[in-house]
Amino acid sequence: MAETRRAPRTPLTYVLRLVVIAYLGLLVAWPVVLVAWNAFHVPDVGFTTEAFAGIFGDPQMMHAIQLTCMAAVVATLINLVFGVSISLLLVRTEFPGKRVLSALIDLPLSVSPIVVGLALVLVYGGRDGWFGPTLESAGIQVIFATPGIIMATAFVSLPLVIREVIPVLEEIGTEQEQAAASLGASSWQTFWRITLPGIKWAVIYGVVLTLARSLGEFGAVKVVSGNVLGQTRTATLAVEEKYLNFDQQGAYAVAFLLASVSVICILVVFVLRARGARVR
Amino acid sequence: MSIEVSGVNKRYGDFVALEDINLTIPTGQLTALLGPSGGGKTTLLRVIAGLETPDSGSVVIEGKDATSLPVQKRNVGFVFQHYAAFKHLSVAKNVAFGLEIRKRPRAEIAAKVEELLELVHLSQFANRLPSQLSGGQRQRMALARALAIEPSVLLLDEPFGALDAKVRKELRDWLRRLHDEVHVTTVFVTHDQEEALEVADEIVVVNQGGIEQIGTPEQLYDEPANDFVMSFLGDVTTLGGALIRPHDVEVTPSPISEHSLEGTVSRVLRIGFEVRLTVLTDDGEVVTAELTRTHARALQLEEGVNVFVTPSPGAYTMPAPSPAA
Repeated sequence: MAETRRAPRTPLTYVLRLVVIAYLGLLVAWPVVLVAWNAFHVPDVGFTTEAFAGIFGDPQMMHAIQLTCMAAVVATLINLVFGVSISLLLVRTEFPGKRVLSALIDLPLSVSPIVVGLALVLVYGGRDGWFGPTLESAGIQVIFATPGIIMATAFVSLPLVIREVIPVLEEIGTEQEQAAASLGASSWQTFWRITLPGIKWAVIYGVVLTLARSLGEFGAVKVVSGNVLGQTRTATLAVEEKYLNFDQQGAYAVAFLLASVSVICILVVFVLRARGARVR
Repeated sequence: MSIEVSGVNKRYGDFVALEDINLTIPTGQLTALLGPSGGGKTTLLRVIAGLETPDSGSVVIEGKDATSLPVQKRNVGFVFQHYAAFKHLSVAKNVAFGLEIRKRPRAEIAAKVEELLELVHLSQFANRLPSQLSGGQRQRMALARALAIEPSVLLLDEPFGALDAKVRKELRDWLRRLHDEVHVTTVFVTHDQEEALEVADEIVVVNQGGIEQIGTPEQLYDEPANDFVMSFLGDVTTLGGALIRPHDVEVTPSPISEHSLEGTVSRVLRIGFEVRLTVLTDDGEVVTAELTRTHARALQLEEGVNVFVTPSPGAYTMPAPSPAA
């Protein structure tokens, strides 16, 4: 990689550094560290893993964690397939309404998750939703059930794969695909052999980010899930429940588990990006 | 006849990229599509390849109507200006791509790839990634990749345009020798008249969506069909109201024929072995003449010297277009 030219260091450089470090420290690092600390540390008792034993020993808590993982994985798979397809559509084809679609994709990032939840209830609500009663009579319950949780999760994490993939698709251009076509490859072969390897890293980042976001979704899921203990209560909902019921130790422990997965996801992205930059 | 293009039109909105193109490209030759940028030569090449669909007209490749065939079915080798290397595949895998798509036996693919890498002098780089190759090596790899499918025609879009001057010249000679070896019908696009004159058997001059002239390099250079072809294929100057090549202008200290015009040297510019002279005639005409360094020195030419300029015997001239044109 080319040597980047650096501006000369001035007192302002140090002031800026201090501001950034203080900002990130007070807003992000310190609170997250405190969650971890409190998950393991009980006042008057000292360090203990009792809270974690409580979680792993509680079948309903385990169910909540499993539900969260399942919903996150399914939502991520859905967003992987649709995300890559939509990206290809937006970059490689021209059609009326393309800009509108592109703007629509960013909507989940700007709309509050709780609005997403309410909107889903309006459409799929079992009793008086727009589409819900029809599905209900066909035996499919969406709201207050797993499909609703998955839909809400997929909705809020929809843009992440797309926003990672689109710039890379634009950057790699169409010449490699045209070359593959001239060598006889069908569009499907071109996609698997040329396009997908070209956007591989972007897809992986997108998937990891989607997974991290999906695991932590709270607002939209709270509205659509109904929060039924042992059935539709997810891990994030359980954190709230425990916290409100004065089981702060338990709340911190589950929060710590969720945060750890997200931190691991971010570390994975970090390592992959570094490697991706080296490969390129 | 290997490629027959008839009545091809192509527009992009209001822009006419190709207008009623009729062109026959003979089998086994190296043909250049030469013209200024934006003249339509790349569009024409892409229409032949099937990467671009003409609005009307037909393309016949080796007697088979290819107009409605997609690029996959045309069996053309296409080489892009910026190589279009498959970045994630090794050099050998790049070359093998078309054969793998065609599901050839593994041993046959390996043998063919080895043979082609030998041909383009890249055998020792078989396992490298394209990013580890120089531009010239990448383009040779792209050429091997296109040749692997044994195409009926090989199409090259400004193949050396992205390379520096020295490598470009080397590859140009090498392409000529390669073509003499493999004899596949080859069409290449270039805006560099020197490249076309040096490499091609036949040159098609394309300008503003139409064909200006088709002919051998000699025909085009010696008998250009119009002033565009004449000025695009080399430098031109005016002498006595006619277009003439600067190297066909004789510069002498005294008149040598009744066509000699008297003038003053207004500028002497030396470029390598040649000297470019600007002579202002007494009629107010600005004439450029090219002579060798040695010749110029023998005549003791410098600014302000009085000279006579005369068209060389046998030099090709054509009436200069009116200034309005």
